[in-house]
Amino acid sequence: MSKYDWLLFLHITGAFLLLGGGVVAGALNLAALRRDRPSEILMLFGLIRIAVASIIVGTVLAFVFGLWLVNEVGYGYGDGWIVAAIVLLIVGNAIGGFAGRRDARSAKIAEGLVAQGDEPSPELRARLRDPITLACNYGSGLMLVALLAIMIWKPGA
Amino acid sequence: MLGAIRPDSWNLPLFVHALGAMILFGATATVAIAGFAARTRREHAELLARVELKTFLFAIIPSWIAMRVGAGWIEGKEFPNGDEPGWLSVGFAVSEGGALLLIALGILAWVSIRRHGIGRAAGAVPVLAGIYVIALGIAWWAMSATPG
Repeated sequence: MSKYDWLLFLHITGAFLLLGGGVVAGALNLAALRRDRPSEILMLFGLIRIAVASIIVGTVLAFVFGLWLVNEVGYGYGDGWIVAAIVLLIVGNAIGGFAGRRDARSAKIAEGLVAQGDEPSPELRARLRDPITLACNYGSGLMLVALLAIMIWKPGA
Repeated sequence: MLGAIRPDSWNLPLFVHALGAMILFGATATVAIAGFAARTRREHAELLARVELKTFLFAIIPSWIAMRVGAGWIEGKEFPNGDEPGWLSVGFAVSEGGALLLIALGILAWVSIRRHGIGRAAGAVPVLAGIYVIALGIAWWAMSATPG
């Protein structure tokens, strides 16, 4: 295997961990939205931490080996599609992280409710269905799909 | 360097294939995570079994189809004369052989729900999902590094 093959493999591994982690987080988040018992919501949010670890590792791998590939193949760091991809990666992670912090606060509330008898709470339900959090969660996912499209089509290259 | 110089007409099938494979990886990992979590969270075993079956029905099946359709589509463009290289057979072994494993996974996930997320079927689901996650890793190594 050549250096290029290794770089591409590690870059794609990052993409799989990033997008795959997003799928895991999305599936568990959707499951949490359909539950009322705080203990169940807390448990599902706890499992999302595994997805977050995958997203962080995937972002680092995709970014580092992506930039290395740009140099290896001979693209320019200022090329429009590369700049767009970097912006999407940063913005997608930022709004995903923003939604994640809001979900972490919901998990804290769920934890308190578990200690008080594990009864369903309208406040927790409202927080889980908060439109800003949902828009950020799904918006970050769509940005990852757009990022994959840019990586494949390389517009302007 | 194929990824950098391929014709534009290969982009859409490659996108369908790659997106399907990445969602398939995440969905299968979700089943593995939920299944292994159920082993230590008995009180939530039934809920996690439902998560596994719903993920199988609404994410694994559609993404496997997208991955496989994209693979066949781009194979037809890249190797129109049927002269496929060896690394391609790794991908087809994982997709075709994996389909049998996924069918077994779906049946076991359904049996697991019928038994409230406990029992041998519930225990086997995350093991099969874990095996398929590893197989997908081997496939993406073969697809990206194209050994040989």
